[in-house]
Amino acid sequence: MERRRSSHRIRQFDCRTRLIRVEYFQWAPLEGPTEKMDKKRNNLSRFLYYGSRWILGGVFIYASYDKILHPAAFSKIIYNYQILPDGLINLTALVLPMLELIMGIFFWVGFWMPGTVILSNILLVSYIGALILNLARGLDINCGCFSTSSGSSINVETILWDAAFLALSVYLTVSVFGQGNGRVPKQVHG
Amino acid sequence: MRISYAWIFHKRFKMLKQKCLQAIWQCSALIVLASLLAFSINYLRNERLHLFGNWTPEARLMDSSGKRLDISLPEAKKLFLQQSVVFIDARPQDDYEKGHIKRALCLPWNEVDRDFMRVTEDISPDTPIITYCDGETCELSHNLAIFLLDMGFSNVRILINGWALWKEEDLPIESGSSTAGQG
Repeated sequence: MERRRSSHRIRQFDCRTRLIRVEYFQWAPLEGPTEKMDKKRNNLSRFLYYGSRWILGGVFIYASYDKILHPAAFSKIIYNYQILPDGLINLTALVLPMLELIMGIFFWVGFWMPGTVILSNILLVSYIGALILNLARGLDINCGCFSTSSGSSINVETILWDAAFLALSVYLTVSVFGQGNGRVPKQVHG
Repeated sequence: MRISYAWIFHKRFKMLKQKCLQAIWQCSALIVLASLLAFSINYLRNERLHLFGNWTPEARLMDSSGKRLDISLPEAKKLFLQQSVVFIDARPQDDYEKGHIKRALCLPWNEVDRDFMRVTEDISPDTPIITYCDGETCELSHNLAIFLLDMGFSNVRILINGWALWKEEDLPIESGSSTAGQG
């Protein structure tokens, strides 16, 4: 009976508020020997958190590089998507790659994470939407995902890649918004 | 110390609200920062991109002197029947070999540096040339036409969505590789 109660207590630990359930409706700050288990879980979270940040940062910086160098070519690609009004095409061709570059750097250094992850989700959802729309329309156009040169047409593979990046971005959003200070804590209780 | 569900909910809600507010101002700041940087770099660039470009079909299909480059299908058909024009297919060689306009030469835009001299050696600079590719938004024929104009050919036109229109009209086509376009 005592053993059952003890394991029940460990299962009912809330890592965000660092509280443990003591009665059905009552919680208290954690006291007890769960450090080893928490350390293991924390190491995995930190690995996933920093890994996702580095991957997404690299992807955004790599994607921005060629577009910053060739804005005219990128504006043609945006025009071919036939989504934005004419007045916004050049503005997008100039601002979007710079936004991707800044977001990539911020992902790497961990600066302004709440804003960066939200914007990253918005951008990736928009990219996936634009790709699906043009794939459904049957337009054979250059993707412009990582380069402005022709030869990278849109297909299901590009959508799947974007979906994978979106999954990392959503994971980061949950991590950032679930933690007190936007970082994975080094110790669950301390 | 005993804490109730209400206290946990309150603490989480407060934390989330704080994060959401942070996210909103940070998103706005990121967009402003990116815009400022992008406009500054564009201003310092030699070939500046206009902030509000002219994307009308007329503007897109003009050469540097303001002359329209596109040609209509009836006009292209007339020149084809007179045999007074050279058609150049700008699509990749695989697509060309599957089917192309009769007597068209193969000069894929992706291989233009390699094939240009060989394909155009028998064409005089004032010969009418029509470039084409497939699709309303296909840029290959447009890029090739601009390139040929830069190379000194004075009479280059673009048949937009040429391959699809040509097939729809049941005009003469052929498949396989051409002698001039062989790699």
